[in-house]
Amino acid sequence: MAIESQRKGDTLHINMGPSHPSTHGVLRLELDLDGEVVVACKPVIGYLHTGIEKTFEVKTYLHGLTLTDRMDYLNPMGNNLAYCLSIEKLFECEVPERATVGRVLLAELTRINSHLVFTGTAGFDLGASSVFLYCLREREKLLDLFEWLTGQRMMTSFIRPGGLASDFEPDWLKAVGEFLDEMPRHIDEYESLLTGNPLFKERMIGIGVLDADDAIRIGVSGPALRATGVAHDLRKTNPYIGYETYDFDAIIGENGDCYDRYKVRVAELREAVKISKQALARLPGGSVRTTNRKVMPPPREELGRSMEALIHHFKLFTEGIRPPAGEAYVPVESPRGELGFYIVSDGSGKPVRVHERAPTFANIQALPLMAEGGLVADLIAVIASMDPVLGEVDR
Amino acid sequence: MTVAPERLQSAFPSGRVGVSADSIPYVLVPAEQILDTIQRCRDDLGYSRWIDLTAVDDLEAEPRFELQYLLYSMTEHRWLRIKTQTDERVASVTEVFAGANWYEREVYDLFGVEFDGHPNMTRIMMPDDWQGHPLRRDYPIGGEPVDFTVTRDMHTETENQDMRIEYTNTRNSREQRG
Repeated sequence: MAIESQRKGDTLHINMGPSHPSTHGVLRLELDLDGEVVVACKPVIGYLHTGIEKTFEVKTYLHGLTLTDRMDYLNPMGNNLAYCLSIEKLFECEVPERATVGRVLLAELTRINSHLVFTGTAGFDLGASSVFLYCLREREKLLDLFEWLTGQRMMTSFIRPGGLASDFEPDWLKAVGEFLDEMPRHIDEYESLLTGNPLFKERMIGIGVLDADDAIRIGVSGPALRATGVAHDLRKTNPYIGYETYDFDAIIGENGDCYDRYKVRVAELREAVKISKQALARLPGGSVRTTNRKVMPPPREELGRSMEALIHHFKLFTEGIRPPAGEAYVPVESPRGELGFYIVSDGSGKPVRVHERAPTFANIQALPLMAEGGLVADLIAVIASMDPVLGEVDR
Repeated sequence: MTVAPERLQSAFPSGRVGVSADSIPYVLVPAEQILDTIQRCRDDLGYSRWIDLTAVDDLEAEPRFELQYLLYSMTEHRWLRIKTQTDERVASVTEVFAGANWYEREVYDLFGVEFDGHPNMTRIMMPDDWQGHPLRRDYPIGGEPVDFTVTRDMHTETENQDMRIEYTNTRNSREQRG
């Protein structure tokens, strides 16, 4: 913690971050402290700003897909999915059933990935270092599965406009099934270390309380909103990719404190395993790529026979996909909340504007409300319980 | 339950109502009515949740910036988009939605649209001393001036002062994107 030792009256003005280990990325907090009590907390962001939204304007839509992974790096498939849904909305493009169910499977696996990092780091920030190792052990298996499927551990770019990049291997599906079967046992293991732990409860219960009305006004979403008792999950209220046909619960909390946010996420971990198993069981046969030739290229063997296929192939590989002019925003429920890409197309091969509605951007605006009046040590628990990813805040 | 475009039209007679490709209804209102419109969407139409604000720059349009506010109704589970067009400044809606604070700062930082009545109208993404607004379509891309020069022979740079690497601006214009 860099102390500026600049006193304002009786309070001490200090900087926490931008690279303090418990700020989960380069978030800087300007704090006014009266002894141990946080009088004022001002989050300062922008340290990871790399102009991704500007970069989109000079990339084709498919090139732009690779940028979405890098925004919320704990939820790459979810970002791919939101981006593709917006583009597909502009095309009114049909996606085959195997790809849709596969997307649910992949989105929930990435949710497990993200919530595992949350559970591990939340414990780690409060001094429970062993649970961090256990969570990352399971996450490692998941990253191995992603690498097997996509060739990449984190920046997968696997969900593409019109379907998926490639089909699932039977062996991969079997390995996922084995991973999902052992997951509930591991979640019990994390919970036995944290949920009932008196020290952990002491640090979390009643800390960083967020009121439901404030959360709604600020645009807080995801587990942070549900912990305040608001049953709002886009998978339930505005279902996409067939979530209405899966059997799962939208987990809500009661008090909106750090402990509820933790409990909501751990329960969501179990729900995500449940949804993934259902998706795995119902995965139908067929193609994972749309037959809409304006979105995905025709199979190679058609090129020798069909002039039309050759033209589509040529157009797609020289100009990229060209969505009809219009604007679309199709949000998904990411591990952190409402995530959507607002895409404006003028009918050309490059977007006029791509804007990401990043859940963490709205969520950490609520940080002062939760931190002010509390102890500086509690601030660590508050930040951990918000699960921020600064990559999507700064973009 | 839905907010039919007709109901929106009768609520905002001076606005232009439509539906975007994503089936989210929108209402385009004059810039001077934005605060009143957002307030009424929250209080009368039940759009109580802040979602998003961003801008789209169109060099050929007059006025050039189109602001896009997105709100959500927690009872009807629907989004509503409110649009307005401006060249430089509009009223801030932070007193209606506290969540608009950072979003307005972001639009100010990246597009240069100012929000009157905002409690802290400063840059949020770019450094405080940055010149220009990067998401404007006429903002130069393709390079960034650097403080040092590169010469053919670093050891005899006194003779080669003119060998600076040229930094040329690439105009990210509509024509160029083709």
